[in-house]
Amino acid sequence: MNEQALIQDAQGGNLDAFNTLILHYQDSVFNTALRILGDEDQAADASQEAFISAFKSISSFRGGSFKGWLMRTVTNACYDELRRQKRRPTTPLEPDTEDGEEMDSPRWLADPNMTPDQKAEADEVEHAIQHCLNNLPLEFKTVVVMADIQGMDYTEVAASIRVPLGTIKSRLARARLRLRECLQGFAELLPASYRLEDGINVS
Amino acid sequence: MNQRDLELLSAYLDGQLKPSESAHLESRLNSDPQLASVLTDLRATRNLLRKLPARKAPRNFTLTRKMVGQNPPLPRAYPWFRLASALATLLLFFSFGVNTVGRQMASQAPAFGMGGGGGASEESTELFSAQEAPAAAPAAATEVPAETEAPILEMAPMPTQMSTEAADAARIVDTPVAKNAGETENAVTADQFQSPAPLVPSTWQIALAAIAVGGMLFMVLVRQISARRWK
Repeated sequence: MNEQALIQDAQGGNLDAFNTLILHYQDSVFNTALRILGDEDQAADASQEAFISAFKSISSFRGGSFKGWLMRTVTNACYDELRRQKRRPTTPLEPDTEDGEEMDSPRWLADPNMTPDQKAEADEVEHAIQHCLNNLPLEFKTVVVMADIQGMDYTEVAASIRVPLGTIKSRLARARLRLRECLQGFAELLPASYRLEDGINVS
Repeated sequence: MNQRDLELLSAYLDGQLKPSESAHLESRLNSDPQLASVLTDLRATRNLLRKLPARKAPRNFTLTRKMVGQNPPLPRAYPWFRLASALATLLLFFSFGVNTVGRQMASQAPAFGMGGGGGASEESTELFSAQEAPAAAPAAATEVPAETEAPILEMAPMPTQMSTEAADAARIVDTPVAKNAGETENAVTADQFQSPAPLVPSTWQIALAAIAVGGMLFMVLVRQISARRWK
């Protein structure tokens, strides 16, 4: 696949060329949306929106990493979706603290009062990780999904979400630490080589 | 452990440190088991994330032309035809409007109206009511043929005084005999004068209509051909 030629054709309005690019990147785009939103249907909708938006604004692509550019588009589509959800809130799965704040501590996962459905879902490592990702602040989640799940390098992530490199490093480190803390609640599910030790105190 | 160390360890994991920074951190890792333990945990976390199974997209997200609002490319002359057709339509309506207004104005003018082309028929109709009686009266009394009405009617600018006299004459001869005698002719003349004369479009109005209709047909045809070629 000659990506550059396809991009140029797509910039000239050639939809078939852009569809070839879509077929190449749709799994990456969908997975990014899925890990950010945590819901397949919403992720599919966001991916479709992202591709439509990408085609309409492809003339603004000025070279560089096309994947990174697409990732920015899908992240924006996910942010839009999350904003929509915020306007029409649904009942959260996570319990509230006494102050009425949504509890993002992983400790509640060890709660013996978990429903059988929740437990069955949490029995799989993938779901455990997705659950921990869902608990991350959006800006941390975006960085960790791009860097650790999509395998993009720091500069690519920085260019994609338009923040300084130092911010990317900081967000990624803190996201990994939070994920580690969250995953401790699923210690028995994790393979032995991935077992984590207790207690990192970061001041 | 502080935030700075955490960032250093995370960046070290990804090979993002300068060689000098890496060397310094490695010497600290050798002497600080807690730091080394955090690095192990971060590495395990990152590996877990990397091992997440990549899901296949549930469907193809390829786009259709409808989804992106793409229309078939039209010939360069298309906008000109659209403009010409729209202008012709506007002018056509405008000209009919002017004629209608002209007719109304002419009908409101008492006499010697310069009502333009369209004013004649209403003028004639109005005059007919005044001239009907004198036309009918001679028909009853002197058997004057109906054709004599025509010259009378053609004298469009009739003084108002005359219409009063005519009405009086009509009242005088308004007997059953006169009615019977003049019935047939009246019916004919009423038919002629009660309905306004049809509005006959001028040549340029016909031309405008032809441009408007032709332009629209052309646009429809071009759109269909373009859409067919595009598919």
